[in-house]
Amino acid sequence: MLEIAIIVAAIALGSGIALVAGGLVGIGEGYAAGKAVEAMARQPEMEGQIRTTMLVGQAVSESGAIYALAVVLLLIFTVMQPLVNRLLELL
Amino acid sequence: MEPNIVFHIGTFPVYEPVFWTWIIMAILAIGSFLLTRNLRKVPQGAQHFLEVGIEWVESLISVDVGPARKIFVPLILMTALYVGTSNLIGVVPGAYSPTADLSTTLTLSLIIYILGHAASIAKQGFRSWLKGFVDPFPLLLPLNIAGEISEFVSHSFRLYGNIFGGGILLGIIYMMAPYIVPVPLLAWFGIFMGIIQTAVFTLLASVYIQTKLI
Repeated sequence: MLEIAIIVAAIALGSGIALVAGGLVGIGEGYAAGKAVEAMARQPEMEGQIRTTMLVGQAVSESGAIYALAVVLLLIFTVMQPLVNRLLELL
Repeated sequence: MEPNIVFHIGTFPVYEPVFWTWIIMAILAIGSFLLTRNLRKVPQGAQHFLEVGIEWVESLISVDVGPARKIFVPLILMTALYVGTSNLIGVVPGAYSPTADLSTTLTLSLIIYILGHAASIAKQGFRSWLKGFVDPFPLLLPLNIAGEISEFVSHSFRLYGNIFGGGILLGIIYMMAPYIVPVPLLAWFGIFMGIIQTAVFTLLASVYIQTKLI
């Protein structure tokens, strides 16, 4: 009983910590967007190509956050849910 | 995380993503048929918008894939239409975006991945294609293989994670405040993010095909 509770608490804490990746990716993507605005201000005629390159770069660098999200979803929906159900049965 | 079963055909279960994929196929097929029923040399009515849209996608893709590779335009255009429709159908209450299921996005990214490699083999020959895996020197073979696998995995996980995560967030908001409050969030996660993710998935598909053809 106590063991299951500790595992559930650890999963909840770990899911929260994993979302730090989202913040770090946010810094990177904001930096990329700012640089793209600078480039557009310098060369407005290149706007379309700059926007495309910016979106592709941001999408690729977003994978880190998406992996963190996938890990959190797996932890919560496939590992934590059955444990919580068993805990509720025991109570 | 398993989707619900809508109905059974014999003993074969039909899950929600499959059911909504059929509906999207019907929408796209009937829409294409109605819009291209009587095309004219001089465009009229809706044909203006069709031609502008197709020329825009063609210019977007021929910049990325190269002018001699127009053969990929129908594939990428259809991917964009399917992903876009299935992202946007999530806004309809009760509907289920097929792209919020990992099987759908993994299928799409595997189609593009395998087609890119097939085109690469067709262009440079099997022997030269195999040599690409041991490119600078043979010691890097495991790293190259890991890179190849992570390519389609990240391509599919990006779309799935965005659409599914947005759906979960909207579900939580619906539980807390069911009226009025979800509307701007629905516009953001349903419409804006759906269109952005469609553009990103399509652009990355053309970029991945292009990098294999260099």
